[in-house]
Amino acid sequence: MSAGKIGVYVCQCGGNIGDHVDVDEVVAAIEKEQGVSVAKTAMFTCSDATQSEIIEDAREQGLDGLVIASCSPKLHTFTFRDVAKRAGMNPFQYTQVNVREQCSWTHTDDHEGATEKAVRLVRAGINRTRLTDPLEPIVVETTPKSLVVGGGIAGLRAALGLAEIGLHVFLVEREAKLGGWVAGFREMFPHGRNGRELIGKLEEKVRSHPEITVFTSAELVAKSGSFGNYQATVAVSNGDRLEQIQVDVGSIVIATGFDTYQPEEGELGYGIDGVITIADFKKLLDETDGPLTYNGKPVRTIAYIYCVGSRQDESVEGANTYCSRYCCTAAVHAATQVAARPQRVHQYHFYRDMRTYGKYELLYAEALEQGSAFVKYPDDEAPAVEKDAKSGGVTVTSKDLLSAGDEVALTADLVVLVTGMVARENEGLTKTLKLPVGQSGFYNEIHPKLRPVETVVDGAYICGACQSPRTSSEAVASGLAAVTQSAAILKRGYAELDPLVATVDTDACTWCGACEFTCPYDAIAKVEEGGKELAAISRTACKGCGGCVPVCPSDAIDLQGYTDAQIKAMIDGMLEVVCQ
Amino acid sequence: MSDPRKYDALVVGSGIGGMESALKLGDMGYKVLVVEKEPSVGGKMILLSKVFPTLDCASCISTPKMGATIHHPNIDVMTYAEVEAIRGNGGNGNGNGPARYHARIKQKAKFVDEAACTGCRQCEMACNVAVPDEYNADMVSRRAAFIAFPQAVPKKAVISREGVSPCTYECPAGIKAHGYVARVRSGEYDQAFDLVLETTPLVGSLGRACYAPCEGECTRGELEGPLPIRRLKRFIADERYGQAEPKAIEKPEQNGKKVAVVGSGPAGLTAAWQLARKGYGVKIYEAAERAGGFLALGIPAYRLPNDVVDDDISNVTAIGVEIETGVRVEDPAKLKDDGFDAVLVATGTHKAVQLRVPGEEKDGVMSALTFLADVKLGKNVDLDGRKVLVVGGGNVAIDAARTARRLGAAEVHQASLECCEDMPAHDFEVEEAKAEGITLHDGWGVNHFTGDGKVEGAVLKVCTCVFDPSGKFAPEYDEAQQQTVACDVVIVAAGMGADTEAFGLETNPSRTLKAESGTLQTSLPHVFAAGDVVTGPSMITTAVGQGRRAAFMIDRFLQGEALDPDAFDEALPVADKKSVLARQDVYDRREPFESHAAMSAAPTDFSETEAPMTEAEAFLGAARCLDCGVCSECHACVDVCPADCIDFSMREEEIEVEVDTVVLATGFKLFPADAKPEYGYGRYANVITGMQMDRLLAPTRPFNAVVRPGDGKVPDRIAFILCTGSRDAQVGNPLCSRICCMYSIKHNQLIMGALPLADVTVHYMDVRAVGKGYDEFYKQAVDMGSMFIKGRVAKITEKDNGDLIVRYEDIEGDGGIVEAEYDMVVLAVGVQPNTQVAGLFEDGALGLDEYFYVGEADDDMDPGRTNLPGVFVAGSASGVKDIPDSILHAGAAVAQAAAHIEKARGVEAAVNVPEAAVNVPVKAEVTA
Repeated sequence: MSAGKIGVYVCQCGGNIGDHVDVDEVVAAIEKEQGVSVAKTAMFTCSDATQSEIIEDAREQGLDGLVIASCSPKLHTFTFRDVAKRAGMNPFQYTQVNVREQCSWTHTDDHEGATEKAVRLVRAGINRTRLTDPLEPIVVETTPKSLVVGGGIAGLRAALGLAEIGLHVFLVEREAKLGGWVAGFREMFPHGRNGRELIGKLEEKVRSHPEITVFTSAELVAKSGSFGNYQATVAVSNGDRLEQIQVDVGSIVIATGFDTYQPEEGELGYGIDGVITIADFKKLLDETDGPLTYNGKPVRTIAYIYCVGSRQDESVEGANTYCSRYCCTAAVHAATQVAARPQRVHQYHFYRDMRTYGKYELLYAEALEQGSAFVKYPDDEAPAVEKDAKSGGVTVTSKDLLSAGDEVALTADLVVLVTGMVARENEGLTKTLKLPVGQSGFYNEIHPKLRPVETVVDGAYICGACQSPRTSSEAVASGLAAVTQSAAILKRGYAELDPLVATVDTDACTWCGACEFTCPYDAIAKVEEGGKELAAISRTACKGCGGCVPVCPSDAIDLQGYTDAQIKAMIDGMLEVVCQ
Repeated sequence: MSDPRKYDALVVGSGIGGMESALKLGDMGYKVLVVEKEPSVGGKMILLSKVFPTLDCASCISTPKMGATIHHPNIDVMTYAEVEAIRGNGGNGNGNGPARYHARIKQKAKFVDEAACTGCRQCEMACNVAVPDEYNADMVSRRAAFIAFPQAVPKKAVISREGVSPCTYECPAGIKAHGYVARVRSGEYDQAFDLVLETTPLVGSLGRACYAPCEGECTRGELEGPLPIRRLKRFIADERYGQAEPKAIEKPEQNGKKVAVVGSGPAGLTAAWQLARKGYGVKIYEAAERAGGFLALGIPAYRLPNDVVDDDISNVTAIGVEIETGVRVEDPAKLKDDGFDAVLVATGTHKAVQLRVPGEEKDGVMSALTFLADVKLGKNVDLDGRKVLVVGGGNVAIDAARTARRLGAAEVHQASLECCEDMPAHDFEVEEAKAEGITLHDGWGVNHFTGDGKVEGAVLKVCTCVFDPSGKFAPEYDEAQQQTVACDVVIVAAGMGADTEAFGLETNPSRTLKAESGTLQTSLPHVFAAGDVVTGPSMITTAVGQGRRAAFMIDRFLQGEALDPDAFDEALPVADKKSVLARQDVYDRREPFESHAAMSAAPTDFSETEAPMTEAEAFLGAARCLDCGVCSECHACVDVCPADCIDFSMREEEIEVEVDTVVLATGFKLFPADAKPEYGYGRYANVITGMQMDRLLAPTRPFNAVVRPGDGKVPDRIAFILCTGSRDAQVGNPLCSRICCMYSIKHNQLIMGALPLADVTVHYMDVRAVGKGYDEFYKQAVDMGSMFIKGRVAKITEKDNGDLIVRYEDIEGDGGIVEAEYDMVVLAVGVQPNTQVAGLFEDGALGLDEYFYVGEADDDMDPGRTNLPGVFVAGSASGVKDIPDSILHAGAAVAQAAAHIEKARGVEAAVNVPEAAVNVPVKAEVTA
């Protein structure tokens, strides 16, 4: 039963589309197409008012197919499927045509050409819609349990949060001990809380919660199943023994954290005695009291050099172009800790932009008040750090943009390289879960605003510093946001999956295995049916990527919603001569 | 109040943090109520152009969440509503059941039936009241009837009303003065006339003879002078009556009931009109030979011509009211026998009060009422060459004196007990009388009249005091000081009274009829009384109001409804003049038109002294209106609404809800840029804020280009000043506002798209690009050509052509003080806490941090948890955050709110179902 009465709506998106595409002309060109019952333009198709209008049209005209020519399907597929549903249509008889990202925005210099392209794209969408069949979502019952990978502060808090909402939690930590970085801190900004104590309390709550099972010295090594019902294999090392444990979970929260940037030998003097990273300096501060000494020598002058391993020159291969966010605040916080010590220490900060954002600004102000001096070095000219043989100290030489580029040189007892965060090496986990990794090595969310903890892997949510550099409390907040996302799926008890999956024509299939080999989701397996070897595709594991369709030598696989017939019709629609 | 509605969660605010909180709680299956103070959900984000660093269209990101919030099966949304107070402690106490929060919510009146409104914007296009559009950062205007913005959810109109405008509020008749002024402003004179007709048929008469209390209350009066509100009414009446074929008045369908009205003055005519409009068969009985009461018989034609009164009366007859003149009704109650279901007595005060001085009986002494009536009825009253003395200090006395002057009297004297400034007559009337050559003897009373049979003179004595300390009329005289005024005609205008003896109805000591002041019902249920016969002598407009009230009550009486005095003309409170003046602070000065009556020292005819307004004068006069109440009640929207969904009787409502948990997502306020006077915001037209730049760049932008507001010029040189109101002890905000660097960088990139040739310079302190992809976004702006200059700008000065000179220390360059010239400056304003939320909780103080953001009890471990159990904060309410961080923060708040609900349910289950097993632990399914 294909669609015979189609509503077509061409969006102006304010001026985003309307400025470059003549939407009225598009409507005029396609309104006579076969099957089109309604063709209209709209200022914002996604607005509530236009949604209501579409619903009204659908009810009045008895529409059974919907085409919306607006933005990328990434943005609004779900919006308009919902509209179709509310209008009494089958949501899968809806086609989103992208005339913004793929048309108006790319052809801002060619109004006529953009309009013609939009006509062709819309016609293809109509042709596809005409051949759509009504489909029902695949409903799967979900397992009300969650797996949290990583036992740092974000993972621990997420585990507790999940349990408090009523979900069972398996917490997997690679190290033998829980707590991650924070477990090592004595004083944390901005409230001066003791990290060890924080973690201690949190660990106690997690360990004593009846709904949380903790595995330490453990790693997630395998995952199978599909959205809402994953079987995860956890390898737990128990002395020399490696035990494999299988758990059923509905979601996976990844909180694997970060590593600190490790400078190369010679980078800003790293390797010289007296040149250390902020991580090591923090350890020094947290593990000693009284007058500050380094290697037994009193520290009277400290030079901090900011942006080490962050905001690197993009022209250098493999550079960390990103800002590590936390380090400015960490450095001024360290400076205030030093100032609290019972001896006078001269502190010089060689920085680029002081990024003590929001309320952290107060720490910067405090450091300034306590006498820290700040030197702004040029983006393209890092300070020179050299051993000063005479005094045994380290000389830092830099231009100071705050005094019209004058050169500043000083000798410090200690040079602290304010190193940033880098993505943690997690190749195994990344491969096991097929997690998307961004340019900077951190895991990528689907969309920072629309779906900020979700990944392209359904049911796998990221949080904390494995996603991008952030402070401890920000990591906790995102951990809890991942809890919320898990609960939004699992509290309901079931989930709906797209039925846009591959299907096998059992008559045509001759089982050659090509499809199984090409499937990135392990959704295809060989089965025997009536003595014949056939490919069987799991409807819940299949993601509808279509990778198997072209490799089948006997054309036995079709993708629901994007059948060969539909693709051909779309191509025909695009190639048809545009009437003038 | 009925039982409170129950929800699991209350979310206060529907910006991105509020929507995210509500959606996630709803997805988990909890019942959520969202309360939003604006007419649309979406908060500040929906007003933005694009969002950093992805340059996604803000609308595209917001609208699906807005739609989803409204349509979610587990979420109810109240827009244009505010949480007023929250009671309860949210804890589970001592195990005696879960304590919950009770929130009292005020639903502001939208004056639009939301269910019926289709969002067609007809009302908006018909509305002619313009106020600054807060959804366009005040750069353009919006209407009083409006939909907040094109993507509003729900897309329903709201009518802004800040109370009743003082002019309308003051009118005793209840005329929508602001409304017809607004209609005149639009050139809709017929509609203006029809709007007055809603109240009274006497449009022309009031336009001339009303003493216009409205003008005394006009807020413009506190600036350059009030609007000519009365003359505008005259203007619309002249327009209507001057038409060759004036619009016909439709006769309503008859309801079969009949009402008799005794007296055809302003009260009687108005009541008859109102009753006829409701379908009653109405008959007016008038004792005089002309209908119109005091209008026809008391007010001289130079103030109110006969044909104007006739035109007004023709409205009443056109709707089907029968008027019989020359019939004196002796017993109104008995009219019931003639088939009338109810009777209204509105006979006015036509009986003259006597002076009670010797000689009053002499020939040549007459009452002013008789005199004026005779003149108006065209009777032969010959005063040619006579010496006339008018006794009295009121309006009637002035009218009599000026009429005598017009009839050719050689001398006209007027004696008034009060001295000039205390005379009851209006000052302008006294002035006009003097200008016409009337000799005023103020402070004099009559001792006696002289003459033998015929009056020859009056002996006056000095009046030392008119009223006793209690305010009662009790004149005292200095008998020693006397003068004689020679006269052969004396016209006495010593007051008027009701003539009610014959009616057989209960009266007051003053002879006025006794009627309930609220219902105007007399002691006989079917007999009502209104106007001067009840109140004693008053103004025309007061009598009109009485007539309307009587008609309203008679209708209720005849429909068998309760006579509720408060049901009549129930109105919003009067608009606050102070806030009107503050709102209009920046508006132009507009001088009033003086009302110049055409004065002659010796007038000889009865032509009107006041000239009509020209159309241009009427327009400019009306255009000075400050729209005090915002909505003018002109009913233009009502006329055009195809869904018939506008309802001015809507009022604010309060509801109470009971919830387990509260999520505060009340957002932030933008720093008011004029608090940095050295940057000239508000004084220099081309200094704008970041939000205004966002609006200039938005897809729903107010102008279809990036232009500078001062003169519409496309700017070539644009400067941004970061940290305006942030990191600034001078304005009391040492905090960094986090978002301003990034939104300015976003503006840079968008401007370079919109104006490829423009130079963009950013004056910054530190560029704080700290989020994922933010620093890369910053670099991209630099690569596109944005100039970044370090240092706080000291001040801005404006050149004559509107260009701006920015003064700063050139820190990174050669040093020294530098001045740079720009076409436009954008102040990257920071944020301030929204402190309103602090006072919401009645049973425990909500903790705030030292900068008055909502405090988090332990943001290291439980970000989003406040000091109050079960109360969470989401997004920027606890300190400014960019959008991704607000969303994550909302997620954190929701996780804990959900845990709180689960805990509360656990307690509830334990209390309510003690035998049920709760908290059965889930066994870990672990297989080796």
